[in-house]
Amino acid sequence: MMTGSPAADTFGVFGTTAVLLVTGPGLLPRAREIADTELAAVDRACNRFRPDSEITRLNAAEGAAVGISELFAELIDAALRAARLTDGDVDPTCGRALSGLGYDRDFAELRAAGNVPGQPASPAPGWRRVHLDRDRARARLGGGAQLDLGATAKAWAADRCCELIARRLGCGALVSLGGDIAVAGPVPEGGWRVRVTDDHAAGPDAPGQTVAISSGGLATSSTTVRAWESGGRRVHHIIDPATGGPADSCWRTVSVTAGSCVDANTASTAAIIRSAGAVGWLSGSGLPARLVRADGTVQTTAGWPSDDGPAEAI
Amino acid sequence: MLRDDMRYAAARRDDGVRKISRLTWRAGAAGVICSAVIAVAFGHHAEARPAGPARPASGTIVIPAQPPAPAQGAGQVSSGAS
Repeated sequence: MMTGSPAADTFGVFGTTAVLLVTGPGLLPRAREIADTELAAVDRACNRFRPDSEITRLNAAEGAAVGISELFAELIDAALRAARLTDGDVDPTCGRALSGLGYDRDFAELRAAGNVPGQPASPAPGWRRVHLDRDRARARLGGGAQLDLGATAKAWAADRCCELIARRLGCGALVSLGGDIAVAGPVPEGGWRVRVTDDHAAGPDAPGQTVAISSGGLATSSTTVRAWESGGRRVHHIIDPATGGPADSCWRTVSVTAGSCVDANTASTAAIIRSAGAVGWLSGSGLPARLVRADGTVQTTAGWPSDDGPAEAI
Repeated sequence: MLRDDMRYAAARRDDGVRKISRLTWRAGAAGVICSAVIAVAFGHHAEARPAGPARPASGTIVIPAQPPAPAQGAGQVSSGAS
């Protein structure tokens, strides 16, 4: 079903920018209330920079079992599913690796700190060290694992907010959390128009490509924005669990569409880590993707429309 | 003689129909009782589930219903790294 122009709200959350679009201007305040409630709950569960969050308590438990909320269990479950579907390339046990690179505080503070000390990298303990017992609402981390749910929690939250808004208010909705985009419900005329670019904050006409989506999610992973100086070298936040260091990828930015935002983000993050092997994997999985090399040349897969730039479609 | 045989056969038929009818009623009643027991036993689990979004299929990354379509001009929103 198509509907008219959506109303928009932009606000800050999770140290980034959120955009909320709904197909009905009068519904925007109620949609924002739903989003605020859900996002606050997700932050309480898995913000590893909050001393009172559940993830902080679990990381500090030194391998002991900890009681967890249903919401935190869902978030851990989503992270473990992402790990399973990518053969461990998207691994939630990279918390210690990120802290070792100095990313142990809010990113704005990290960037302001300039060059921070770094520790030698070592492989992540691995997602199988995470023991989740949903029936008893408990979790335990083995092998010195420290959780970081950054690869999946934001996208999962976008899916959750979007679906709740669409269902409760009976409208079309788009929720973008730092460029991780979920859509649900009736679609505006021509679809939801998304500018795919390196930096989600660069504006709706930044260099890149505009595409329209009508369901599911679209996510972009990149090594260009969340980057800082650690131990005298430039590092970024996408960790290769095999090394424990920043992924050494031939792609600077990968955008993927999938049946949900969390699936799109799982695939785009894995594609950065898989580097040259990502094209065959995305094509074989039937996932439409746009991959940008360091020199700006673009490759697309599985029906992603070609743009004006030099492109090779697989 | 023939008339007696026919009466006997009709009586046997009516008797069979009554038996089948009783069995059908009993099976129906047992089904209703089983449904009620199952509803009482498991109904509260269904209510206890949070009213969140449907969980994605667990075995594979789900492909989109449609690939993205080409579009012109600026986007309503941007997707890039954050």
